[in-house]
Amino acid sequence: MESINKTAQLEAARALVTALEADNEQAIEDQLTILTQSQESELFHEVGKLTRELHESMSNFNLDSRLVDLTQNDMPNTRERLNYVINTTEEAAHKTLGYIDQTLPLASDLKLTAEKIDESWHRFRMREMNADEFRLLSKEIEVYLPEVKQHSEQIHANLSEMMLAQGFQDLTGQVIRQVIDLVEEVEDNLVQLVKIAGKHVENKPKDNKEVDPIKAEGPQINAGDNPNVVNDQDEVDDLLSSLGF
Amino acid sequence: MKILIVDDFSTMRRIIKNLLRDLGFTNTTEADDGLTALPILQAGGIDFLVTDWNMPGMQGIDLLKAVRADEKLANIPVLMVTAETKREQIIVAAQAGVNGYVVKPFTAATLKEKIDKIFERIDAQ
Repeated sequence: MESINKTAQLEAARALVTALEADNEQAIEDQLTILTQSQESELFHEVGKLTRELHESMSNFNLDSRLVDLTQNDMPNTRERLNYVINTTEEAAHKTLGYIDQTLPLASDLKLTAEKIDESWHRFRMREMNADEFRLLSKEIEVYLPEVKQHSEQIHANLSEMMLAQGFQDLTGQVIRQVIDLVEEVEDNLVQLVKIAGKHVENKPKDNKEVDPIKAEGPQINAGDNPNVVNDQDEVDDLLSSLGF
Repeated sequence: MKILIVDDFSTMRRIIKNLLRDLGFTNTTEADDGLTALPILQAGGIDFLVTDWNMPGMQGIDLLKAVRADEKLANIPVLMVTAETKREQIIVAAQAGVNGYVVKPFTAATLKEKIDKIFERIDAQ
């Protein structure tokens, strides 16, 4: 191809010289056109080759459609998952801190009153207390004992809530595991891409994984957007009772 | 009453264990997935199973099916405590014979309510 082109170009060049010497304007124009056209056709040929190579590379990319899927779906999804982790941990931390704030005054209340009664009781035992003071003390004790019961119950309830709030570790742990799996998959695909670029194309068979409708997915990130997902315990109960549970 | 708690996260096992203790169930034992839970169940003495769904190794739904398929274990009440909230999943769990389904995050009241309901049904039988 190249040599044919070269011969044609040489011929045209010689004819151009002859035409110039003869001052034949029409011939000069004709030969110039031939020369530029031959130049252009070589350029078109090169562009064509590049286009074909590009197309082949693109097709190779498409062989692994998972890569496209990863960038279009899984990456944005991962952002949402990591945001879910931030929000869930933040919520759990605030919840726990809130219950601590509620519990600390209860505990110090009990301690202060106990100290006061303890002191009065000591004076009573040392016979340093008159009848009026003793009447006051017994009133204080009368008020204090139910308060101990009430405060302890509240402290117990608050501690239970704090314990439940720690469930965030399970929920976010499941989500972080999914992100780790995704990072591994992206890494594998990038290695594959490097192999393709290095012309060691291994046509991976397309994995037509069947979608398992009950595959475990961990916490749903945007449950509200998906009608196929229940939003709370009430919806679970409704669904189960509709099944005759 | 001996209860087996199955969850791959030790924090969640601890939470469920403490809540059960508050409800008066002090005899509990733990496993971190279906594969480790099955031998404990088969060894006998477990009266109630509380299990997560999403676990490495053997998942909770497969553990439930294995329990129902085993003549000796088939009648153990099973409570699922899980973050799995797809309708198909809940339906499949119901069909596999789950006795209660609690979604995470849950409250102490919800757990108590579901456990009470399970034992009410058993007592009624």
